[in-house]
Amino acid sequence: MSTMNRRDFVKLAGAATAVGTVGFPMVGFGAPKASVVVIGGGYAGAIAAKYTKLYVPDAEVTLIERKKEYISHPFSNEVLGGERDMKSLTFTYAGLEKRGLKVLQDEVLDIDIVSKTVKTKGGKSLKADYLIVAPGIEIKWGAIPGYGQEAAELAPHAWEAGPQTLLLKKQIDAMPDGGLLVIVAPANPFRCPPGPYERAAQIAANLTHAGKKKAKIMILDAKDAFSKQALFTEGWKHNYGDMIQWVGASGGGKVMEIDAKTLTAKTEFDDFKANVLNVIPPHRCGAIAAKVGLTDDSGWCPVNQATFESKKAKGVYVVGDSCIAGAMPKSGYAANTQAKVAAANVAGAILGMKIEKPFLTNTCYSLLAHDYGISVAGVYEVGADGVLADVKGSGGISPVGAPLDTRKRESVYGVSWYNNIVSDMFT
Amino acid sequence: MYNKKLGVVLAAGLLAASASAGANGPTAAAIVGHTCAGCHGTLGASVGPAPVIGGLSEMYLASTMAAYKDGTRFGTVMERLGRGYTPGEILDMSKFLAAQPWVSGKIPVDAKAAEKGKTIHSANGCAGCHGPTGISPMPNTPRMAGQYADYLYFQMMDYKDAKKAIPGAAMIMRNMLTPVSDDDVKALAAFYASAK
Repeated sequence: MSTMNRRDFVKLAGAATAVGTVGFPMVGFGAPKASVVVIGGGYAGAIAAKYTKLYVPDAEVTLIERKKEYISHPFSNEVLGGERDMKSLTFTYAGLEKRGLKVLQDEVLDIDIVSKTVKTKGGKSLKADYLIVAPGIEIKWGAIPGYGQEAAELAPHAWEAGPQTLLLKKQIDAMPDGGLLVIVAPANPFRCPPGPYERAAQIAANLTHAGKKKAKIMILDAKDAFSKQALFTEGWKHNYGDMIQWVGASGGGKVMEIDAKTLTAKTEFDDFKANVLNVIPPHRCGAIAAKVGLTDDSGWCPVNQATFESKKAKGVYVVGDSCIAGAMPKSGYAANTQAKVAAANVAGAILGMKIEKPFLTNTCYSLLAHDYGISVAGVYEVGADGVLADVKGSGGISPVGAPLDTRKRESVYGVSWYNNIVSDMFT
Repeated sequence: MYNKKLGVVLAAGLLAASASAGANGPTAAAIVGHTCAGCHGTLGASVGPAPVIGGLSEMYLASTMAAYKDGTRFGTVMERLGRGYTPGEILDMSKFLAAQPWVSGKIPVDAKAAEKGKTIHSANGCAGCHGPTGISPMPNTPRMAGQYADYLYFQMMDYKDAKKAIPGAAMIMRNMLTPVSDDDVKALAAFYASAK
């Protein structure tokens, strides 16, 4: 059992005092308001903007996002399964504007990471005291030979939710019974590690409901293991029998070339001609980050993993899928808590408060059927090497072989996760 | 089991320091408290069906999280998360969340089931501890009025299930609920969810 020891008590009493004495922003008369510009309005950026404003109501916080409406990638697999429509994934920034944030619908063309000046396509130039950059991921076109933007119109990736999701859904709906659907899954690191495998289950749900029980789904994978693997294998079998087949890299699953015209995925050994071909290609971090010098040789953005301040520029923070965050996956919840840590550090710098410790977590659900959910969770701390790792003994996946009642509960809490995390972002 | 030391400290009111939404800046309590929002809503005001946790009592929040941490309360994901926090951090997040306003759930409740639940609530003497509508004056007894029905149902079913771990302080709930049918538990959940 856990007990609070004397040291915790003393620490707590000290913290309680600190709240009362140094908690209030000391902004003098006539002092200029601190300005914070957040670039990118997704799972990381929207949260960074909201929580900076929450911590420092006085600060001028501007969120720059190129799209008028945001479409959530998490839970877009449920659209393919027929459980959800695009409307339930689509949000405006009106809720954040109500909180006193400025939302600028514009595209960032350049950032001077030393002077912290942002130039936009709309001709604006914004100079900030602090920048939080959250550009997410981009598809690495051409990384798989034959798979470029034109190919995606025939063999959709659907890895950025929107028209691509609807295109794939349309193709699934039109697929004949007995047809073959091939999912090409990328090597690590990529956004939403359990996503391709949840997608296979959601597509299987769609095909099953449509009575196409002879259809097959094959996942050709560039790696030999994947997130929540034992749980997916168990859940696929339970819900869909033998409909889903996974082929790992060493079993011949690595795709070397795509021929989109004939919907063929070519591996070292075989050509797989599909009725529907879903290619999830490798990604890179949002192009703006690379352009302005926030990336390293890996192509991703190195940060101080305790604060999320860029290792390339002072006062510039990088959060979400584009940053390097040790053991944290590129997931929506990871982005949410990283953004809050960056917001706390920006607020701390403005208010003169020292941030002792970051709190970073991940909770990620996958829905294999409307009543069958599984999860992975993690709590992270910065090790002596400066890299985020799991707090020893914490986190992990749902139990393998758990009763169906547990799977049902996790499906309920999975939907609840989505309801709450988007509410945290947009209200 | 019920954590006596923790309860004494909490009851002593030593944690009365203000810990509001964030206007006090990024205090340790606020930073750790905000990590829950992805599943439990901003400031713990869940939009459901995961439980509302903002505005529950410090003692209940801290003892519940401590029970998840030490495995004395069955959960789906919460034990895995609970093990990631120190006792001091659990107190910090509890203090922060307890200082937030309670916001009742917004998912519509089956009115017929709620009506049936009210009679079961009366017949079983639930009000003795939980008050007439599921708001108890006792600090380790959680508010149920306006909580989400799905969550209340799952939790009561765990109390009924002898194979599931529950904290020592909740053994009375196991005794009270074991003779109640699953359908009646569902009705009770609907009653508390609909109560003000």
